[in-house]
Amino acid sequence: MKNIKFNNVYINNHFTLLSSKANNPSILNDVDMSIEDYFLNKKTFEEGEVEYQTLVTRGLLDKENKKPEDIDLLIGGDLQNQLFASNYNACKYEMPFLGVFSACSSFIEGIIIGASLIGKNKCRNAMVVTSSNNLVSEKQFRFPVEYGALRKKVNSFSASGAVSAIISNKKSNIMIESANIGKVIDMGHTDTNDMGACMAPAVAETLYDHLKSTGRDINYYDVILTGDLGIYGIEYLKEYLNRKYKLKSNRIVDAGVMLYNVNKDSDFAGGSGPICVPLILFTKIIKKYKKILVLGSGSLHSCMSTNLKKPMVGVSHAVSLEVIK
Amino acid sequence: MDKNEYKKIIKYKSPKENKLKNIIISFFVGGLCGVIGQLLTDVFNKCLHFSINDSYMLTMVSFVLIGSILTGLGFFDKVVSFSKCGLIVPTTGFAHAMTSAAMDTRNEGLVKGIGSGIFKLTGSIILYGIVAAFFISLIKVIVG
Repeated sequence: MKNIKFNNVYINNHFTLLSSKANNPSILNDVDMSIEDYFLNKKTFEEGEVEYQTLVTRGLLDKENKKPEDIDLLIGGDLQNQLFASNYNACKYEMPFLGVFSACSSFIEGIIIGASLIGKNKCRNAMVVTSSNNLVSEKQFRFPVEYGALRKKVNSFSASGAVSAIISNKKSNIMIESANIGKVIDMGHTDTNDMGACMAPAVAETLYDHLKSTGRDINYYDVILTGDLGIYGIEYLKEYLNRKYKLKSNRIVDAGVMLYNVNKDSDFAGGSGPICVPLILFTKIIKKYKKILVLGSGSLHSCMSTNLKKPMVGVSHAVSLEVIK
Repeated sequence: MDKNEYKKIIKYKSPKENKLKNIIISFFVGGLCGVIGQLLTDVFNKCLHFSINDSYMLTMVSFVLIGSILTGLGFFDKVVSFSKCGLIVPTTGFAHAMTSAAMDTRNEGLVKGIGSGIFKLTGSIILYGIVAAFFISLIKVIVG
């Protein structure tokens, strides 16, 4: 896949909301809003997730002093069946809406779609919103919430919260430089506990495609941020890159690991969910680094695919950002 | 890289679960359940003068009741996560699986929610339990 180059597309502003318990305290100080509530006065946590999206959508509109009519395109993504949270958030405003599903890489997919349309002058600006709710993911993909299913060390913990960002061709300090859309990779992995193992090859392939299509060295970037591979997923990725492409880098960091500050003694592998990548990107990465490659990754399995004994397939999309100081 | 080579990477890089610790915890928690069960049976049988068969049944029912109430109160999931199979294999696990599924689907209505969701995890236990019971009874009738 060839590299998509953008001219004058910028991330103007963002709004982050984190709601999971057991957070990394250093991240709590950097988010725009932090609430320890899965329901937000709604009867169900499914509706609670809609409220997360509403909070970040309204929060960002207020931050930017804009009305819903000023936004040309709303792109939403979440993990609920048929994008429940995004659809019901979108119906509250008069904004044209596109729903995207790419599991935990939905945010990056949204950014690529928005930036492509803005780059071709098909719209002035676009807002990308993604959310996840731990209880919803538990219920939908794992076991009933109160069941407290036995977990392995490779299991990740779905983060709760939502993130929104507004992109346009108005100049700001974060420029979207280019992007690579990833291929869906099947490596025959079947253990749904270990999603990192499903996504790592997809990340590796997209990273290689990106470097090849741009002619860049892996050390061109100050940091390579992966989505939610987890602490073991990062190991698989490094080993895969080394064996297949002879690529080595110590600049690869994982958003899921950073979100919960996990190490190998922790009893889980890290955070997961569509909010991991944007949350860490906006709270930690853009403040420290200049040339950033973000590799969102998603495990595209469902309960149906698992019941049909199909292997888990993964996808990863890359976006290269430049922070102008 | 082929799929088998990747499987080897995962096998070599993924963490080893502490099986021995889990087994020991399950052994003692499960054993404790057994002791409590025996005490309950004795209470039903000796103090309340039920027949021994009725006492076994009442013990079972008590375990299901206690398991369901603890799940409903919302902290049994944490106890189960700690005690692993020690509480899942006894009949408390069955009650827990049923109640937690019912709680999960409560907001989706009485018929499509709880009605169809309550046996989400335990439906197969009931179905195959009945099928197995049928065949074993059949063998008993033929042989005995």
